[in-house]
Amino acid sequence: MTEALRLPAEAVYTADLAALKAADDRPKPAGWALSPQAVVTYLMGGRTADGVEIGAKYVGDRRLIETAVATLATDRALLLLGVPGTAKSWVSEHLAAAISGDSTLVIQCTAGTDENQIRYGWNYAQLLAHGPSREALVPTPLFRAMDGGHLCRLEELTRMGSDVQDTLITVLSEKMLPIPELNQAVYATRGFNVIATANDRDKGVNELSAALKRRFNVVVLPLPDDMDQEIAIVTKRVGEMAVSLDLPAPKNVGEEVRRLLAIFRELRGGETLDGKIALKTPSGSLSTAEAIAVTVGGLSHAAYFGDGDLSADGLAPNLVGAIVKDPVQDKAVLAEYLETVLKQRRDFADYYRAFSDLV
Amino acid sequence: MAADLHLFGIRHHGPGSARRLVEALEDLAPVSVLIEGPADASDLLPMLADPQMRPPVALLAYPADTPSQAVFWPFAVFSPEYQAACWAVRRGAALRFIDLPVAWRLPQPTEAEADADADSAPTPDPAPAPLHRDPIGELARLAGYEDGESWWRDVIEENPSPGPVFAAVADAMAALRDDTPPPDRLEAAREAHMRLEIAKERKATAGPVAVVCGAWHVPALTAKHTATDDRALIKGAPARKIAATWAPWTAPRLAFASGYGAGVTAPGWCRHLWETPAGQTTTRWLGRIARALRAEGQVVSTAGLIEAERLARALSAIRGRPQPGFEELRDAAIACLCFGQPAQWQLIARPLLLGAEVGAIPDAVPIAPLLQDLQRQQRAARLKPEALERELSLDLRSDSGLFRSTLLHRLAALDVHWGRPVDPGRSRGTFRERWVLQWQPEHAVALVENLVYGATIEQAVAGRLEAGMQRATVLGALVELVFAAMTAQLAVAARTGIALLGDRAAQTSDCAEMLDALPPLADVLRYGRARATDTGQLGDLFRRIAVQGALALPYAARGLDADASAALRTTMQAADAAIHLAEADGDTLAQWQRSLQAVVADAQASLLVAGAAARLLYDAERMTAEQAVALLGRMLSPGMPAADAAGFFAGFFEGSGDRLLHDDALRGCVDAWLCGLDGEAFTEYLPLFRRVFTGLDRMQRRRLLDAALGRDAGGLPGLVPAPDADALWARHFERLKGILAPGGSGD
Repeated sequence: MTEALRLPAEAVYTADLAALKAADDRPKPAGWALSPQAVVTYLMGGRTADGVEIGAKYVGDRRLIETAVATLATDRALLLLGVPGTAKSWVSEHLAAAISGDSTLVIQCTAGTDENQIRYGWNYAQLLAHGPSREALVPTPLFRAMDGGHLCRLEELTRMGSDVQDTLITVLSEKMLPIPELNQAVYATRGFNVIATANDRDKGVNELSAALKRRFNVVVLPLPDDMDQEIAIVTKRVGEMAVSLDLPAPKNVGEEVRRLLAIFRELRGGETLDGKIALKTPSGSLSTAEAIAVTVGGLSHAAYFGDGDLSADGLAPNLVGAIVKDPVQDKAVLAEYLETVLKQRRDFADYYRAFSDLV
Repeated sequence: MAADLHLFGIRHHGPGSARRLVEALEDLAPVSVLIEGPADASDLLPMLADPQMRPPVALLAYPADTPSQAVFWPFAVFSPEYQAACWAVRRGAALRFIDLPVAWRLPQPTEAEADADADSAPTPDPAPAPLHRDPIGELARLAGYEDGESWWRDVIEENPSPGPVFAAVADAMAALRDDTPPPDRLEAAREAHMRLEIAKERKATAGPVAVVCGAWHVPALTAKHTATDDRALIKGAPARKIAATWAPWTAPRLAFASGYGAGVTAPGWCRHLWETPAGQTTTRWLGRIARALRAEGQVVSTAGLIEAERLARALSAIRGRPQPGFEELRDAAIACLCFGQPAQWQLIARPLLLGAEVGAIPDAVPIAPLLQDLQRQQRAARLKPEALERELSLDLRSDSGLFRSTLLHRLAALDVHWGRPVDPGRSRGTFRERWVLQWQPEHAVALVENLVYGATIEQAVAGRLEAGMQRATVLGALVELVFAAMTAQLAVAARTGIALLGDRAAQTSDCAEMLDALPPLADVLRYGRARATDTGQLGDLFRRIAVQGALALPYAARGLDADASAALRTTMQAADAAIHLAEADGDTLAQWQRSLQAVVADAQASLLVAGAAARLLYDAERMTAEQAVALLGRMLSPGMPAADAAGFFAGFFEGSGDRLLHDDALRGCVDAWLCGLDGEAFTEYLPLFRRVFTGLDRMQRRRLLDAALGRDAGGLPGLVPAPDADALWARHFERLKGILAPGGSGD
């Protein structure tokens, strides 16, 4: 039993990685721990040549993962794009674990990230005592990844200021990091590459510059295709969160989540589930993660202000908050949805009423 | 002594097969080339090599009496059959089709072919099982390929131990056929017929004979069967008079998705493979993608193309394929050139994968079936083409009237304006139509241009309207096309249009566009009954568009300039009339009127529109006289800027000033406002007042004036009764009675 709350992927799935490595007889790119085919098997699940069962880490389109791995096998950097809650970081962590055997070289990009956190910093005591030297440098995860030939992960790339993002251009195209103060440079060892994640819903945070964008191959991770799969994800996560928030979980969670996700998926997909009526889509992302948040909000309402059961009245205000991000446009979209779709459905009558009161 | 026989099992429309086939023919130099195709159309085959013939074209065969049962055999430039025919003509080899005659392929009269499908896209074959239709494509799918051509290249052509390609294909097919049930009756008859024809040809010629047929048939054609058995199989051939000709075809209709049973997934890709020299396929395909993306306004750099090619190669390595195929190139293009957005790929996928070429046929080909169909229909309708104008009145309740009207409407939809409707527009509401007929020679040319949409007038109209619907961007235009399909009695095309209308209606957020679609829709709903069309679905659609338009109206009415306000007012009034005309249900009407109320109450709404909305509510009795007076009083009160008040006044009264005659309270408000205007403002709005009162005749104006001036409106002020009025009136009355009495001279 470990003291750490959460271990990195390569520590949790040591057995899978070892089994794949043992059975891996295909050519490996320089600096890779596994062959590209084995990496795809590690993520998508399957069986090794020795017959060991490997569990799936990502449930979704195999082609996307193949494209991602193929990108990393060339010297292009990989950008995983998607709305929040589509397992971007999860995929990035597992790719790094499988390819480099180390998923801990992470830079969390924020508005406060500056160039020193991307390239290198200085140990000022050393700097003052001995002048500039390699010993006085404080390496960043990117620096260490280049030096050691590992994968470096950049989380939420677009949260970082554009001028800081551009530091990456030389690193990505010339695979070297100049240290002008020492008149030296770090040349990337084979096996080095970058996986960045970004979400494409946050417009106006910091757009990727065209120069940087063109140095990435982009893989967009989609929202789940399958409704039952999404219901299972939401119900499971809501259960976990309810426990950690000490909220009693009512019996009707599964059934309410089904109705809630029906609304989510119809608005997100731009048509009714039976495919008969096309709809406008609101500007919000309506991701699985938001469905979870809405349900948890409804739970809290049910526990403190309701009779303990999830109800349309408790969920509707949160739901409106998730749908209406733009006060004019989205409201019109919702009103249209209410009048043309929900109104006709007898089993959604309580939602129609609750929404009509709110809109 | 029998000649040498060589069977070439090909993949229909497979560029890989076509390339190998031409090489094999060069090596073999046969004196006779036999192709899988209807034997009775053999004399048309050499025309394929005509320099004016530009594929894609289709061999079109139909029973001479019913062209609607036409059967098509399309040929693309990359079809092995086409290449074989061109090769044979070039080398002077004998060239013949050897499959069953056309008559076998037609739906037999006993098989009740559902009439409902008659005006859908032509279905060349009753769709066979996938394995049978495209065995190579099916093998490829089993191997995890989406595209049969990539598989053909990887497995057959790039096979590390290359052997004779066609022998390998024949072996594979023999193995496949061992595991499938024996062929059905039609297929057995086809293969028997081909065997007999081959045997005949081998007897007749001395040199090698080449047979080009679908790979699937090769094992059956080499199997031993006695001629007697074979003849027994093809007994009882249906006897029907068949006409055949060439028709121009389009690249998208070579695609399987277009309903062509033996089509390929991506004709554009096949053509690319055929045209591109080996070794450059990948690079040039990416180049095409880049060009298509640039045409869409995307920035695609050369460096991006290099990266895309590298990624495609890495992907093919991961997937264990010798070289990048169709899927690798697509995935790489999405990741490198479309920034991971599949939607961007979808934008270019259709033109890129389907292509847009239209074939051309030489002038010498036999008469087009469309003209024949027209002649037949003219006889059936007892209408002769005449160069001089002639008027024709039709009663739609009679079968002959409806038939003639349908024919004329269909021709008009094909841009063949033989008949010109007199009094168009509202005449659609009656059972009577009047046309002026005049035949011009160019009508024949215009008609033949439509051959690409279908072989009969009915099919061509349906094809053309559906193509137009796909292109239509504005709801109103789409509704017009749906209406055209309904008047042309094309149920399937109309259904397609209605489905499209539903999609487009959901996508549009422009209130005016939605409201504009309502009047034509209401016409269809109200008057469609004259033509016995089913309007049920349209009714739902009308309600949806009306509700959507109503919901969008309050926002649309905000912050408009003068021109936009006037346009929206006209649109809104027409939509209101349409909603009443279509007798919309209570909910829809209530929603519409709620929206009108919202416009009236909205302080930011354009006052012209608000005035018109108030007027519509007042007319519909959703606003009481007291409310109207209060509203008008508020809007025309002195605190209101004169320009705003004038806008509201114009919206409420313009075009119908007679309201003021009968409504004392309203008149009071207006009177007070007018009197309160200063001289300058009054002069400024004079044109407005003229417009408002222009609808009144002299007598009404006089009465209005009297009312405004407070004179007694009961009698006829200003007129003095004649002295002998009593006697005069008695005489007048007698005469009136005489006229009005039954049997009088009145008419």
